[in-house]
Amino acid sequence: MNSKLDRPQQNASAASLRGVTKSYKHFRLDKIDLEIEPGTVNGLIGPNGAGKSTIMRIMMGLVTPKSGTVSVLGKSISSREASAKQDIGFFSDDMRLYKSESIAFHMQFVRSLFPSWDEGYAQQLLDRFGLIAQQKVKGFSHGQRVKALLLLILARRPKLLILDEPTNGLDPVAKQEVLAELMQIVNDETRTILYSSHNTQDVEQISDTITFIDRGRVIASNNRDEFLDRWRRFKLQAPQNWQAPAIDGLRPESTFGNLRVMTLDRYETGVEDQLQSSGATLESSEAMTLEEIFIAAVSRGREEKQQ
Amino acid sequence: MNTQAIQILFLKDLFLSRWPMFGYLVGGLLSVMVTCLPGESAGFIGFILMITVTIAAGIHLIGALLLGESIDMTRTFIMSLPISLLDYSLAKISVVLVAFLIPWFGMLASLTIITFVAPEAKPGILPFLVLLFLFMLGGFCLQLFTAVVTESVGWTIVVLVLGNVTLNLFLKMLYEHPVISKLNKSEVLSWPPVVLQIIAIEAIVILAALGLTFMFQIRRKDLV
Repeated sequence: MNSKLDRPQQNASAASLRGVTKSYKHFRLDKIDLEIEPGTVNGLIGPNGAGKSTIMRIMMGLVTPKSGTVSVLGKSISSREASAKQDIGFFSDDMRLYKSESIAFHMQFVRSLFPSWDEGYAQQLLDRFGLIAQQKVKGFSHGQRVKALLLLILARRPKLLILDEPTNGLDPVAKQEVLAELMQIVNDETRTILYSSHNTQDVEQISDTITFIDRGRVIASNNRDEFLDRWRRFKLQAPQNWQAPAIDGLRPESTFGNLRVMTLDRYETGVEDQLQSSGATLESSEAMTLEEIFIAAVSRGREEKQQ
Repeated sequence: MNTQAIQILFLKDLFLSRWPMFGYLVGGLLSVMVTCLPGESAGFIGFILMITVTIAAGIHLIGALLLGESIDMTRTFIMSLPISLLDYSLAKISVVLVAFLIPWFGMLASLTIITFVAPEAKPGILPFLVLLFLFMLGGFCLQLFTAVVTESVGWTIVVLVLGNVTLNLFLKMLYEHPVISKLNKSEVLSWPPVVLQIIAIEAIVILAALGLTFMFQIRRKDLV
C-alpha cells in the first residue's frame, strides 16, 4: 500500500470539473464535479460505459463538454488550447502508435514536442520494460504497446498523469511492471495521477482518493481509507417479521431464511449494539473490500436514481 | 497557433507517407514516359496510366494520412500531445495536400517539359493538360473535404466515383469543344479566354473545397 494522505496539500487543485455534462445518443454525463488535489493519486472506478473515459477526454480537451467548467493545472481546457497539455501525460486503452514505425521514431517525435523530455529516464524505461528501440510497433504484443505508450508519457516528466485503464488486458507480470513504475512516480510528491479502471484491486493498490462513477454520475468520492472504514457488512439472524432499525445508510443485501446480510455506509461504533437491541442476533461485522464497496455503492446509486 | 508544433506534425506525416508519395511520383513519371513511346496506343495507355496514378495517389494518401488516423486510433495519441485543434488541422490538411501535389506536380511538370522538347509533341496541348490536372486536383480536394466532414471511407469513395464519372464527361467536353480540340493539335501555345474561364472555375472549386475543409475541421467539438 502506498498512501500519501499525510502529505501537505496545496491550495490550487491539479484538476477541477464543475457541473460538467456531455450528451451522446445513448449516454449522458450528468453534472460531474471532481476535484483533484495536487500530489495525490486518484482512482476513478466504474463499470464499462460508466463515463470514465469521457471524463478523462474532457480533461484533455479531446471532447468538448455541453456545459460546465474544466480547469487542469490552473488552465482552462478546450480543443483550442494546447499549452496545459505540455504538463499532462495521457494514456488511453484505445490509443495506438504508428504501426509501421519503431519506438525510436516515436521517442524522437515526442522528444521534439517536449523540452522536458528526459532521455536518460527513457533509456531506463526501455530496459525496465524490456523494449527494443528499433522494434516496429506492428510486431508488439498488447503489453509491449502499453509499456511503449507509458514510456512516451513518463519520459516527458508530466506534472499530471491521466491514465485510462492502463492495466486493462495485461498479463499479471506486465501489470505488475506497470504498477511498479507508477508506484515509483507516486513517490514524487509533486506529481498527480488520475487513474481509471474497472479493476478495484489495481486502483486500491496505488490510490489515495477514490471516486465511483456509474451511468454518467459520480456516486461516491472519498479518501481510500475512509471508504474502507465507513463501510461494513453485517450478518444477522433475525425472525421473518424483523424490522431493521432506522440507521442511516443501512441497506439489506440478501436474505437466506433467517440469515440477513446488511451493508452499511457511514459506519460508526455502536451500530452493532443498535442491531442487537433490535431483536436480531449479530453473527458477524466485517470490513468490506473496495470491490464489495463499489458493487454496493453502484447498486445503491442505481436504486436512488430509479426512485 | 504553435508554428513549431505544426512543422513537427507536418514533417512527421510527410515522413510517414514517404513511400506511397515516392511510389506515385515514380509511377506518374513512368506513365509520362509511356506517352512518349512511339505509336498512338502508347500515348493513350500513358494517358490512362497518368489519370489512374493521380486518382490512386489521392485516395491512398487521404486514406493513409487522414482516415487512417481515425481508423488506426493514432489520433488519440497525437491529440494527447500539446497540439491544438488549429495546429492539427493546419498541419494535416497541408501535408495531405503536399503529399498529393508532389506526384501531381511531377507529372504535370514533366509533361510540360515534354510538350516543348519532344520532337513530335505539340505545345498547344498544354492548356488541355493544365485543365485536366486542375480538374483532378479539384476532385482530390472534394474527396479531402468529404473525408474531413464525414470521416467515412464509404462517403469518400462515393465522391471518388462521382469524380471519375465527371472526369469522363469533362474529357468528352474538352475533346468536343471546337477551340480546345483545335488547340490540342496546334504547334503554338496559346491560352484562349475559354481555357482561362475553365481554369478560374477550377481554381474556385479547389479554393472553396480547401477553405470549407479547414472550416469544418476547426469547428469540430470532439476530436476522438
